Amino acid sequence: MGKGGMSQGGDEKGEGEENMAAWLLGVNNLKIQPFILPPLGPYDVRVGMKAVGICGSDVHYLKVKLRCAHFIVKEPMVIGHECAGIIEEVGIEVKSLVPGDRVALEPGISCWRCQLCKEGRYNLCPDMKFFATPPVHGSLANQVVHPADLCFKLPDNVSLEEGAMCEPLSVGVHACRRANIGPESNVLIMGAGPIGLVTLLAARAFGAPRIVIVDVDDYRLSVAKDLGADGIVKVSTNTQDVAEEVVQIHKAMGDRVDVTFDCAGFDKTMSTALSATSAGGKVCLVGMGHNEMMVPLTPAAAREVDVVGVFRYKNTWPLCIELLRSGKIDVKPLITHRFGFSQQEVEEAFETSARGGTAIKVMFNL
Amino acid sequence: MGKGGNSEDVVAGKEEVGEENMAAWLLGIKTLKIQPFILPPLGPHDVKVRIKAVGICGSDVHHFNTMRCANFIVKKPMVIGHECAGIIEEVGSEVKNVGVGDRVALEPGISCNRCNLCKNGQYNLCREMKFFGSPPTNGSLANQVVHPSNLCFKLPDNVSLEEGAMCEPLSVGIHACRRAQVNPETNVLIMGSGPIGLVTMLAARAFGAPRIVLVDVDDQRLAIAKELGADDVIRVSTNIQDIDEEVAKLQTAMVSGVDVSFDCVGLNKTMATALNATRAGGKVCLVGLAQSEMTVPLTPAAAREVDIVGIFRYRNTWPLCLEFLRSGKIDVKPLITHRFSFSQKDIDEAFETSARGGNAIKVMFNL
Repeated sequence: MGKGGMSQGGDEKGEGEENMAAWLLGVNNLKIQPFILPPLGPYDVRVGMKAVGICGSDVHYLKVKLRCAHFIVKEPMVIGHECAGIIEEVGIEVKSLVPGDRVALEPGISCWRCQLCKEGRYNLCPDMKFFATPPVHGSLANQVVHPADLCFKLPDNVSLEEGAMCEPLSVGVHACRRANIGPESNVLIMGAGPIGLVTLLAARAFGAPRIVIVDVDDYRLSVAKDLGADGIVKVSTNTQDVAEEVVQIHKAMGDRVDVTFDCAGFDKTMSTALSATSAGGKVCLVGMGHNEMMVPLTPAAAREVDVVGVFRYKNTWPLCIELLRSGKIDVKPLITHRFGFSQQEVEEAFETSARGGTAIKVMFNL
Repeated sequence: MGKGGNSEDVVAGKEEVGEENMAAWLLGIKTLKIQPFILPPLGPHDVKVRIKAVGICGSDVHHFNTMRCANFIVKKPMVIGHECAGIIEEVGSEVKNVGVGDRVALEPGISCNRCNLCKNGQYNLCREMKFFGSPPTNGSLANQVVHPSNLCFKLPDNVSLEEGAMCEPLSVGIHACRRAQVNPETNVLIMGSGPIGLVTMLAARAFGAPRIVLVDVDDQRLAIAKELGADDVIRVSTNIQDIDEEVAKLQTAMVSGVDVSFDCVGLNKTMATALNATRAGGKVCLVGLAQSEMTVPLTPAAAREVDIVGIFRYRNTWPLCLEFLRSGKIDVKPLITHRFSFSQKDIDEAFETSARGGNAIKVMFNL
């Protein structure tokens, strides 16, 4: 998996083409260069990568001083983690997969020894090795080596691009689980970007009867409407507007707000979420914004509005794949831009993703 | 209940034979006067209670000092007090659960029982709640009150009236432990060793918490916590710069990680400390309602799935409180540090004492 490293020359394994990957070398500096894979372990598989999506965190590493929260890129690292491909080789103990299988990859390898792992909360494992979270190499490459148990077979009617979409979709699914979304949960979503939109799709799949989504951007709100939002509200970036926006939100919902997902993560979005959510409800902080946030926590706590944290996901691939197979969720409209795996296109793809606006999910086809 | 009014109001009911019912009325900032308090007629499901023990709460002091508490504003004279117990003097025609002479503890709040929150059992969040001593509802620092019988809970023989009055603050701790799901595997950190921090500690222990550490800025209060059974106490500062160092100390004292933190103060610093000290996947319970806008490191906590659980008063806690007191699993008596009688002079002094804090934990009136 994120094992392997840079080619020093003369070290190529296997016949045929050298394995190439998109390396993050510095701020705004991505280069396609050789990527040496480690030997295949008994429980590993080698995957020929076919579809890789760009995440906001990938863009952040590239553009913002090579860091994302407390993760700092200190040496060249392969970028990318939202991926799917075709099995090329399996380790000797692998029974569930064979060469030719189309699979979606769950990026993170946890330790399986610590208390959190043993309790099933492996997403919180302090020793997590996650594609493209330094110092672990990512998967925007021709091939990667990865544990077989983190590769999930795609049904015939689910494409490789949809397989790659399982990763962001998993964030929405995990958030809906943590917030206990069900057929009685009226949902408010702050932010109609990729994460707000997968949360919208997941919430609907979990049975949410009414979903209102807010954003500052009209285009993204229209995408949300097309994807089935019951109500959309345009909001500002101005903290003074919170009270009035809460009124508009309540009008759009027409009913209680049981759960609010803050998929942006700013003071303003959190304050709006805390104020708009009904007594006894939950605010799920999905978007990772500023470290210190200034929010009206006490009035919310005094109405028993709880704040639920979300970090990545756990045990979500099987459910995502089933929701895609059955058509309960359709992620295809979220893929707005496609690029090939060349130096020029890699650079253009990241620019496009960073731009936001009409670019929701930018996908590489390898 | 908080029904009844000023003797200035015209009321249909006649006055009792014998003594006039008197109550402590909040007339203005720091102005409490014992004056007549006319009770309403007894409804079929009501009881009349002769109040014997009333504790002072921080919110009472806040009303006393500022004539308001958060969004509750005292606009007209109001009887103060809500932590109480007494003896049944009269029962309405439909009352079956208690009889005349019974010693009872009173749950202060009358919810509407019609709204969805009430019907879902979250009646503490009812928007029509009528709560003793929360304006505009009159409180219970009085000789007598009228109250629904289903909010009056019989005291076991070995539980005193003062302990009955203590059920109210204890209920806050119980409700917090329930919402935070404290159990025999929950290592607990408590910010603040005042009355609420202390009842939360007692409740957490009763719920099985194996390790409980309290922090405070006041050595006296920490000493009390230690006597009441805290596994460890740590002195902290009011200085936000000290957070990192204090978190390190806390985690060492806790040994195997903080599963649940109760912030029984509710300031930026205590919340930030709690959020940073709690382990991934744990919970921070915000009990103390000190300041409205808070600046806190929310994102790093959310990114470790540390959830924040809100607490408002309590629900369905009296039976459990009384059982804990009856069995001795909880002993609240050490929390009662000062006692006063129901006279004009004593009332003023009692509120001064409670407001002082320090070695004054629970100030109790004996009527």
